[in-house]
Parts: sequence; C-alpha cells; structure tokens
Amino acid sequence: MTSQRMQHIALPLVGLGVFVAPAAFGGTGSVYSAAVLIAIFAVMAYGLDVIVSDLGEVSLAHTVFFAVGSYTTAWLSTKAGAGAWVTLGASIAVVLIFAAFIGLVTLRLREFVFSLVTYAVAVVAMSVASNWAFLGGSDGIRGIPMLDLSIAGLPLTARNDGELWPYAFALLAITIYVVDRFRHSRLGAAAIMTHLNPRLATMSGIDPARVRLQVFLVSAPISAAAGWLYAYQRAYVSADVLENYFLILMLTAVVLMGRRQLLGPLAATALVLMQEKFFSLGGYVDKIVLGSVLVLVLAFFPQGLMGLMRPLRRIAQRRAPSQTVITTVENPK
Amino acid sequence: MNLTQQLINGIVLGHAFALVAIGWTLLLGVARLVNFGHGQMYMLGAFVTWWAVVKAGVPYVLAVPIAMAIGALFGLVMQRVMLKATFEQNLVSIMIMTLGFGYVLHGGAALVFGSTGQILDTALSRNDITIGDLWFTWQDAAIVIAAIVVFVGLKWVLDGTRVGRLVRMVAEDPKLAMLAGVNVRRVYYGVFAFEGAAVAFAAGMVAPRTPILTSMGFEEVIMTFVVVVLGGIGSVTGSYVAGVALGLFTALFGALVSPAYTTAAAFLVLIAVLVLRPRGLSAGPAAGAH
Amino acid sequence: MSASVNVVLRVRDLRVAYAGNQAVDLKSLDVGQGEVVGVVGANGAGKSTLVNALAGWSRGAPRVTGEVALGGQRVDGRPTHERIRSGLLLVPEGRLVFGRMNVEDNLSTAFSPLAAPGRKVYTRDEIYELFPRLKERRHHLGSQLSGGERQMLGIGRALMMGPRVLLLDEPSIGLAPKLVQQVLDTMRTLARSGLSILLVEQNVRAALEVVDRLLLLERGRVVLEGPAAQVGNDPRIAQAYLGVATA
Repeated sequence: MTSQRMQHIALPLVGLGVFVAPAAFGGTGSVYSAAVLIAIFAVMAYGLDVIVSDLGEVSLAHTVFFAVGSYTTAWLSTKAGAGAWVTLGASIAVVLIFAAFIGLVTLRLREFVFSLVTYAVAVVAMSVASNWAFLGGSDGIRGIPMLDLSIAGLPLTARNDGELWPYAFALLAITIYVVDRFRHSRLGAAAIMTHLNPRLATMSGIDPARVRLQVFLVSAPISAAAGWLYAYQRAYVSADVLENYFLILMLTAVVLMGRRQLLGPLAATALVLMQEKFFSLGGYVDKIVLGSVLVLVLAFFPQGLMGLMRPLRRIAQRRAPSQTVITTVENPK
Repeated sequence: MNLTQQLINGIVLGHAFALVAIGWTLLLGVARLVNFGHGQMYMLGAFVTWWAVVKAGVPYVLAVPIAMAIGALFGLVMQRVMLKATFEQNLVSIMIMTLGFGYVLHGGAALVFGSTGQILDTALSRNDITIGDLWFTWQDAAIVIAAIVVFVGLKWVLDGTRVGRLVRMVAEDPKLAMLAGVNVRRVYYGVFAFEGAAVAFAAGMVAPRTPILTSMGFEEVIMTFVVVVLGGIGSVTGSYVAGVALGLFTALFGALVSPAYTTAAAFLVLIAVLVLRPRGLSAGPAAGAH
Repeated sequence: MSASVNVVLRVRDLRVAYAGNQAVDLKSLDVGQGEVVGVVGANGAGKSTLVNALAGWSRGAPRVTGEVALGGQRVDGRPTHERIRSGLLLVPEGRLVFGRMNVEDNLSTAFSPLAAPGRKVYTRDEIYELFPRLKERRHHLGSQLSGGERQMLGIGRALMMGPRVLLLDEPSIGLAPKLVQQVLDTMRTLARSGLSILLVEQNVRAALEVVDRLLLLERGRVVLEGPAAQVGNDPRIAQAYLGVATA
C-alpha cells in the first residue's frame, strides 16, 4: 500500500479517534476543557508552523494575529451585538490588514530584521492593548456571549466546553486540511524552494519577498481563527492573550515533533498542555520546563522527537541502517 | 513643561539606551547573532544587583560586578548550547533558542525573586543634583559617564588592540579569519560573554531609576533593536548617537504626547526609517563591527 | 621518491563525501621537504575540495575521513585554526583579503608562530621585498586591490605565518601572464628555501614549469601520478580536460 493511500485511510481514522477521545477519557468538564484548549492552541500553532517549517523564517507576530482574532470577536460581539459568523469574518478581515501592513513594511528586509519587527509589533501591541480604553485597557472586554453559529433555523450553539468541543474539533480539522492543501500548492512549493535555496528560487522566477508576504497572509487568518474561538471559550479577552507564553507554546509546538509533520503541532500542543494541566510543577517551574524543552530540542534534537524515532524504527524493521542523508531542512547545504 | 529639564531627561535616557544596546552592537555586528533573551538578561542583571544590595547587604560597588559575572556566565552557557547552530549560521534556530532562554530566565527569576515589583535604591540614586530649575540624580550622572566610558573604551579596543583586530576579522569574514589562525569559536564565546556582562552592567546602572519586575525586559529589547538598527548594525559610534537621539525623542514624546506609548512611537520611527532606508541611517555597509 | 627525503605532509585514505556523493577519494599523497607537487584536473575534479579538506576548511558540512599528518603529527581531528598555527597553510581560491582593512593591517592579521626548525616566519618587510607592489599599495584597502595584488597579499600573509606546507588553490586564476610568471617564480624561490608546496592548478602548462611531481585528478580520484618530466606529456592530461574518452 502506498504511503499516500495509507494517509487517506489513516487520517480519517485518527480524526475519529481524536473526536471521541475526550468522551473516552471520562467526558468530564475538565477533560473537555483541556481538549478544547488543545484544539484552539494547536490551530494557533499551525499558523506559525506554515511560516517556520515551510518558509523557514521566524515570525513573532502570530500572538498578535491570535489577539486580533480575540479582540475583534470580543469587541464586535459585546459592543455591536454581532453574531459568530460575522465576528469570524471580521477577525479574518482585520488580521489580513495587520498582516499586510507588517508584510509590506518588511518586504525587502533581511530575515532577522523581519523577525525583530514582528517581535516589536507584539510588544507594542501588548502595551496598546493594556492602555487603550477602546480595547478595555487593563480590564479587557468581558461578557462575550456564547458561541452561536446557527444558520437557517438549525441551532448550533455551545454553552460550555463539552458543547464547544465539536466546533473546536471542526476548526482543527479544517485547519489541518488547509495546511495540507497549502503544502501541496504552488505557493507551498515556492515557499520550500525559497527556504532551501533562495538564489535558485530567484533564478526559477520566484520572488522570495513576495512569497514571504503571501505565506504571511495565508498564515495570519489561521491564528486569528484560533483567537476567534478562544474569545468564546473564555468569555472575556484582555491583554494577557499577548503574553509570551503563547509565543513559546507555539514555537515549541512547531519544533517539538519535527518540522513539516502534518500532525506535529497538534501532538506537541497536546503534550505541553497535558503536562500543564495534569502534571504541573507550579506556574514558574512550568515556564522553566517549557523554555528548556524549546532550547534543548533545537540544540540537540533538531529533527524533533520524530527524528529520534527514525533510528528506532529502523531497528524495529531489522533493516540495515540506510545511508544518512546530510541534507535536511535544518542543514540544506 | 520645562524644555531644558526634558532635554536633560532625554540625555540621561539616551545614554541608558545606548548602554543597554552595546552588547547587541557587538553581538549583531561581529557574530550576526540575535539574542532575544536580551531583555530577560537585563532583568536578571537588575535583580541580582538588587538582591545583592538589598538582601545580602553587599555594597553597590561590588554588587554590579557580581551581576556582570553572572551575566557573562549566562552568556557563555547560552553560546555553548547554541554552538552548533552558531557555526551553521542557523539564524532561525538561534532566534528561537534565545527566546527559549529568555523564557527560562523569566520563570527562574520569578521563582527566586518573586513577582512583585522591587526598588533598587543606591546612594547615588537617592542624592539629587539641582541646578536652578533643573534636577537629576547622581545616578543619572553616573549613567551618562559610564556610557561614555564604555563606548570610548570599546571603540579603542576594537580599533587599537590586537584583540580588537581579531574581533573585526571575525566580524568581516569568519572563514577567512580561521585561515589566519584565529580561534573563531573563542571569539564567539567572548562576544556572548561581553553581551552578558554588558547588559548586566547596564541593568545595574539603570535599574535604580524605576521599579523592577521579573516580567520586564521586552521594552528594553525593542529600544535596543531600534538603537542598533538606526545606528547601523555593528557601528559603535552609530549606536551611541542613535541611543542619545532616541532618548531625546522618547523624553520629548513622553512629555508632549503621552508617556504610555513611547515604545510604540519609537517603533513607528524605526518602521519609517526601515521603509525609507532599509540599511538604517548609517550610510556604510551594514555588516562588521566598526 | 627516495626514502631519504623528509616527508612533511602525509595523507592516507582521504575521503570527502557530500550527502552520499564521493567528492574526493585519495589513497595516498606525500609531499617532501622543498618539494612542489602539482594537482591538476578539469573543473569539478575535486581539486579545491581536496586542499580545503586538508586544511579542515571544507564548504558545507561534508563527511571527511582519513589521515593527514604534518611533520609526523596527525592533524586530521583538529580544527582549522590549529592546523594553520601548526604550519599547514592554505591560500584559498578567491577569499584572500579583508576588504575593509588596508594592506598593512591585512598582513598584520597573520598569526605569528614561535620560530621553529623547518619553519621560516617571514616578516612584513620581507614580504614587501618579495612583492614590492604590495609595499607601494600598503595603505590601500583590501577591496581596492587588483586580482594579482590580492593573490600576492594572500601568499604574503600565509608566509608570515611560518608555513611548513603551503597549499595554493589556483593562484593563477584571472591573472595576466606576466603576473602568473611572477607567482611561479616566487614559488620556485620559496621551494628552494625549503618550503613544501602543494599547488592546485587548472593551468597545466604553468604548473609544469614549477612542480617536481604532478597528480591528475578525475572525479576525486588520482588517475595519473609521476615526475613532471615524465607525466607532463601524457595524453591523458589533455583528455581529462577535453573530456575525450581514454583509450
């Protein structure tokens, strides 16, 4: 059976498994809460995954995209009484404006300047969100109504995490599908080429700056959609959605399993959140653990946990070790 | 608003910015490395100094070198862990790793020092100098003097000594420097240790001006970034000038418009410069330390 | 080569592989004291890869295995700068000068080793004597120098580091014939004073004027080896460059 067909069969099975997992683990409020958060943060991480794994650049602005989704949703639903579909559309529209601005400003800049600019955007956004009365200042915006996606008489509401789970799962599934489609698209191919060999890409007619802008514009709505759902889950939004925690979480989710693994961010997010919820060592120690994991993975296991599994899998299959391919996404030379 | 007072504030603030940015000037200019943990290392320097003075009763004059030593040590540890990525010039990994280090520092510092704000008072910060209507503290004066001394010293070392020449060689072309017998690895270690010590020194000098929190450091990174890019990456003189200019801008903006959005304003100035002049304000080539 | 000649550079089983692709596969190479050994071959034959690997200065991250010994001591595990300091000097193709420093400073960047038997450490004045042109241009920046001047600067700096073996990668590339002649003459003089030279050259005729022995490299392997007088007229050399199949 080819790996393509295996994927077509395995993926839906995995999806089904994931969908029923919370119920299988007891179906309690805290289990569903964990599951919903895992789904939301995984979607947030997929937005970053596209930029880091495919394009090979570091964007530190995805916390801002996440926050844009949350704040747009919070503001429109509380101050303008907008419904869930409207807030979703508005979140995507507003985030595209932000992403376009950042992308155009950094169009011709070197990679590390691009990263620094995105970092600065995040810090400035934090100070603006904490101080601007329009966004609720340090109190934030409270009283977000429950999620209501009802259309044409069909009721689609969620009053608690248990009812929110199918929507979170749907968002997750759609995101994974979008990322997969992206990776098989021309833009995805252009992104990889720009990442691995910018000069060759230019000679093939690809404009690396435009590719970066386009990939940025594709990745932003993903994180914003996660922010949209997060607003409904928490029922309030404040400047703490811009905290560094989300950034470190996203980055760890992207690198822990190994680059460009379709289910990698999901698995990694699940691991991290489960450690926090069920094996927590206290808030600060958890920070130390998370940060250390990020550093150690990149320093000593650049291929991620999946990279560790490869030699083990080879031993299990009792085949002679194949010649190590030196060229990796890490080390393309 | 007293314009001259604001100008004095601006000059003090500017020298503080320049001093905080000096480690990055060398790090970016020589090793092309970005240290996103810079802000947390600043926070660490501030808190070690505070703890030494307030909790351990060490005189301020000794506390600052202690903070510098710890900062340098941390820089060395970071570089050791990131060595492979440094040699491969794997900037993506380096940037993410420094973010991770910063996060670990944040958690560790909060664990050890707590999460409430602290004030570091020194003999210098408690004593004011008043000249007519104008007012500043001895600490402020010390910051200005220290910044000038450090910048002049660094420029002298880079231009006039053998060590400085080694650093300039590695800054311009590390592979060629290897062929000239330079131990490039040791130079990278040195530059990272300098970054650690320099940012800790800056913290020790500047922290007495405001209350310190273990959650601080992000704005410092932005200001440092603005200073280094505006001054021309790797230019020691450029960083000094840009720092002072930024300080004046911040002071005036804070007094005339709003004190809460000064970082945002500085950032917008940087964006404007980047859009109009992608290589920063210094006209020379962007790489190398000079 | 007679057994009484002192072998300064000894290479055994040197293999350089990029992602499973064998770029160099050298069984053995010896360079004696005062000997000039030439390595020739068509573009892409692996000549540069060979000398870069000897200096530990390979591009990218290839797998390099084998023994390299300098004056009887193994250097193959050591980093580049240590090999340089021990007297294994490389003057690479292209990357020769620090553009932002002037000639004097460029020469001053040379690491000064302790004097040792078999290692002549040239002083800056001696370099100026060897290359008067450099003295004329000594306050000019590296980026302002011509190709020939950069070549002289590269060789000059290497000499100031007291080489026991000098690896030269295509010193004649892009140089006018008169300058090529000057470089070759310099090499002959240096060899006569006891310096061992491994010369990589595309210009076979130029190489033949100065080398004692010649190696022909094809796809990373030595296909022909011998004294210059014998091997110089071998048709295989022309065939290697013209791509004509050997008989």
